[in-house]
Amino acid sequence: MVDPVARLENAQLSLDGNAGRVDILRGISFEVARGETLGLIGPSGSGKSSLLMLLGGLERATGGAVRVLGQDLTPMGEDALARFRRQHMGVVFQSFHLIPTMTALENVATPMELAGAADAFERAEAELQAVGLADRVHHYPAQMSGGEQQRVALARAAAPRPEILLADEPTGNLDGTTGQAIMDLLFGLRDRHGATLILVTHAPELAQRCDRTIRLVDGQLETDTLASAAE
Amino acid sequence: MSFANAKRIARRELRGGLRGFRVFLACLALGVAAIAAVGSVRMSIQLGLEREGAVILGGDAEIELTYRFAEPQERAWMEGVSDRVSEIVDFRSMAVVTRGEETERGLTQVKGVDGAYPLYGAPVLEPELELAAALAGRDTYPGAVMDPVLIARLGLAVGETFRLGAQDFVLMAALEREPDSAGGGFGLGPRTIVALDALQGSGLLAPGTLFESAYRLALPEGADLGAMAARAEAELDGAGLRWRDARNGAPGVAQFVDRLGAFLVLVGLAGLAVGGVGVSAAVRAYLDQKTQVIATLKTLGAETRTIFLAYGLQIGALTLAGIAIGLVLGAVAPLALAPIIQERLPVPAVFALHPRALAEAALYGALAAAVFTLWPLARTENVRAAALYRDGAGGRVPLPRWPYLLVTAALVGALVLAAAYLSGLARLTIWSAAGMAVAFIALIGIAALTRAAARRLARTRLARGRSALRMALGSVGGPGSEAGAVVLSLGLGLTVLATVGQIDANFRSAIARDLPDVAPSFFVVDIQNAQIDAFLERVEADPEVTRVQTAPMLRGVITRINDRPAAEVAGDHWVIQGDRGITYSAAPPEGAVVTAGRWWDADYDGPPQVSFADEEAAEMGLALGDSLTINVLGRDITAEVTSFRDVDFSNAGIGFILSMNPGALAGAPHTHIATLYGEEAADARLLRELGNAYPNITLIRVRDAIARVTEVLQGIAAATTYGALATLLTGFVVLIGAAAAGERARTYEAAILKTLGASRATVLANFALRSAIFGLAAGLVAIAAGAAAGWGVMTFVMETDYAFEPGSALAIVTGGALTSLVAGLAFAWRPLAARPARVLRASE
Repeated sequence: MVDPVARLENAQLSLDGNAGRVDILRGISFEVARGETLGLIGPSGSGKSSLLMLLGGLERATGGAVRVLGQDLTPMGEDALARFRRQHMGVVFQSFHLIPTMTALENVATPMELAGAADAFERAEAELQAVGLADRVHHYPAQMSGGEQQRVALARAAAPRPEILLADEPTGNLDGTTGQAIMDLLFGLRDRHGATLILVTHAPELAQRCDRTIRLVDGQLETDTLASAAE
Repeated sequence: MSFANAKRIARRELRGGLRGFRVFLACLALGVAAIAAVGSVRMSIQLGLEREGAVILGGDAEIELTYRFAEPQERAWMEGVSDRVSEIVDFRSMAVVTRGEETERGLTQVKGVDGAYPLYGAPVLEPELELAAALAGRDTYPGAVMDPVLIARLGLAVGETFRLGAQDFVLMAALEREPDSAGGGFGLGPRTIVALDALQGSGLLAPGTLFESAYRLALPEGADLGAMAARAEAELDGAGLRWRDARNGAPGVAQFVDRLGAFLVLVGLAGLAVGGVGVSAAVRAYLDQKTQVIATLKTLGAETRTIFLAYGLQIGALTLAGIAIGLVLGAVAPLALAPIIQERLPVPAVFALHPRALAEAALYGALAAAVFTLWPLARTENVRAAALYRDGAGGRVPLPRWPYLLVTAALVGALVLAAAYLSGLARLTIWSAAGMAVAFIALIGIAALTRAAARRLARTRLARGRSALRMALGSVGGPGSEAGAVVLSLGLGLTVLATVGQIDANFRSAIARDLPDVAPSFFVVDIQNAQIDAFLERVEADPEVTRVQTAPMLRGVITRINDRPAAEVAGDHWVIQGDRGITYSAAPPEGAVVTAGRWWDADYDGPPQVSFADEEAAEMGLALGDSLTINVLGRDITAEVTSFRDVDFSNAGIGFILSMNPGALAGAPHTHIATLYGEEAADARLLRELGNAYPNITLIRVRDAIARVTEVLQGIAAATTYGALATLLTGFVVLIGAAAAGERARTYEAAILKTLGASRATVLANFALRSAIFGLAAGLVAIAAGAAAGWGVMTFVMETDYAFEPGSALAIVTGGALTSLVAGLAFAWRPLAARPARVLRASE
């Protein structure tokens, strides 16, 4: 693959818990191409979310290498990883993870503000408008429904125009109709901005919307399927 | 029945342990411990005064006379009722040491004693020596013992001689402890004890000289002191004598300790109020955690009352535990620190467990806990079963129903009434409670204002682009803000400290800065009639003396007003307690303003007339035309009040409450007092020259007297500051509690911010800024409240000018911001160190 956005080489993740050391990812290798939409699927506890966290630099690999946009994330410090994320990535979580003490507008503006953008609030407002929340900009998360909160989270991830969008079961906490609307929004944003999308999901119909799906079982890569091959 | 169910639920819930209640327990225990400790020390001193009353007084009873010794028939009466009598005399004088050309002078309070002294207790001398042997002296010199402070000041050594008046004494030992020192009250000079006989040749006890004689009586075992006092008054005809007995050997000290102790209990109550904020926050946080449990219990059929009782019982059990810990600490601390405390006390104290002090502290603790836990407990009523499937967060919390408000108000009332009754300072308690209530409301208002301002500022252009500032402002103004608890607890603690700071600083500056500008350099007492003309001529000719004032001076006791005992008319007013200075003059003194009535004519020679200080007259309820009977040197003089005068005591000049027409006091032996004004540089020369020329006179350097008063005030200020610091410590515990309670939220926030690209420095700056904002807000309120309270105390209680003291205020704001910062940052480490992925995953 020419100029991959992300490359994992025998990536491993082990964590120390109360019950001893647990191997979560046991040597995963694959590449992600620029502009690709990749679905990560597998049963609960298979390591999908942990893999996404490795790609986002939110978790540090205990073995192997994780390269994103040509940078090896493994030796990077906390602050360097934070700067890397704000320049190149947007992350959406299942539980939204909005900052409860900030309004919708402030939540969306924060990553751009951290990156030093002078027009952070104007762009945030435009992005909220784009996700249909023009009339909710000054509301706090606790004053919004789950679907609305996830739309704020989507706007926050997309507003800085990241090269990579990471989404961890973004519809997991939402009902079917709202979930469908959120997915339409997510894919719409990706299409508009041309970002690479890596999506963890349990839902087969979502996985089918991706260019490619990787299935994990017990911390190992089981299958890697291109959509065209599956059709 | 709901109570049985509630008890069962409470017991099961408490199985979860005391996690989350550490701050609750610490706040309550600290508040109760401070009050219990102050109360215990106060009672220890009171008990010491009671038990050692005879030693402190120097006898079972004492009869004190002014200006004179007892007449033979009076002495015979004393010897008739008692087993032993000891005669002493007490006056101020100058101790003079001559070394060649040089002379050293020091003001001293001289006590001349007879061979029977002391009837009880014993002085401690260094080197160890019997008092009688020490006073016998050496060679041809009579002996003396002296306070080590004065020995050092005069550069004396044991075996060297010094002079009192015209008599030389040899210093035989240092007086390390004087058994009856606390009974005499406030003295300006350190003590010298000599034999009474040895003073006969000193010229210091000449007629008219200011001295007091006291006769200590050792009464037969089981003597009824009350009956004896009544007998003395009846049989000795009240001839200007004052009776005191061992029931209250040191009334001044007892009253001072009582007042200071009661005041410190009030400061302790402020601490309990600060702790109450922490208690309330802890209960609220605990019940918030229990929302799901309460909703489940309601789903299962539990009534609102059962749930309220179940959690009420838990809080009640914890309150008992907090009070118990506080009582143990408050009872043990004074016992453990007894040697240190005793060393600083002028009187013996009996350190023991004092159940009354502990009961008082427990009562305050229980009432305060009830006041501060009822509202959060009432919130259990608002939890609906639907909370199980619908998040109730973000809604506005309604006020509790009216019965809760009513009970809370009643509890606050009970707390204030209990404090007013038990402290004996009802007015001060009510003012303090009102002040605290105002500060409370102001702080709640300021917390709300801070939040609103922060919310507004976060949205302005000023904050945009400054992410740490904007996030901090957003957090201060946003939902779940800690502003309420932090500003309230820190603000109350700082308010108490700021008030003490403002009052103390104003006091000091009034004494140290303002007074020396208007006060004289010297007070000169005991100038004999034969000396006054020459004395005046000399000082008026002195180029460095800018002003001289003199007045004749006698001392007398007001015994009757309109032919009724003075105490019946004027109660316990200070003017009728003990003897007062009296002067006479034909014309009104220079600068005096007669505010009512008329001054007698210059050649008036009729029945005695008196002019009285108008403010004191109003306090005592005197009117023009009233008659006063004044005992002067054993002779009763009855005079008509014919005028009132404005007397200004604030400039330390000559000011007499009583001034009579010259004819009224004609023939009574008396001396003169004088005030000398001049530059400080001339003090040493005047002291030397006037001391040499008139060995019998006493020169009191006003600057030394001011220093001595300042020293006493500093001690009071220190005790109060310790009390205020205890309040601040409780505030700090509340802050730590709030910071600890918010740690989870901060960890979560830090994880999201890091995910969005914030560096640790940005996150830390955000946390630090919000702590500083809280500290600043609390500090500013404290300064405003402290200044208002300081103004009130200086203007209405001290009746002097108030000036805002910026030094103390700046220290408070800086201290507040720093305290808040330290508490906030102490709990910032974990949020900063946590890996975002794990934090976010854990909250999925």
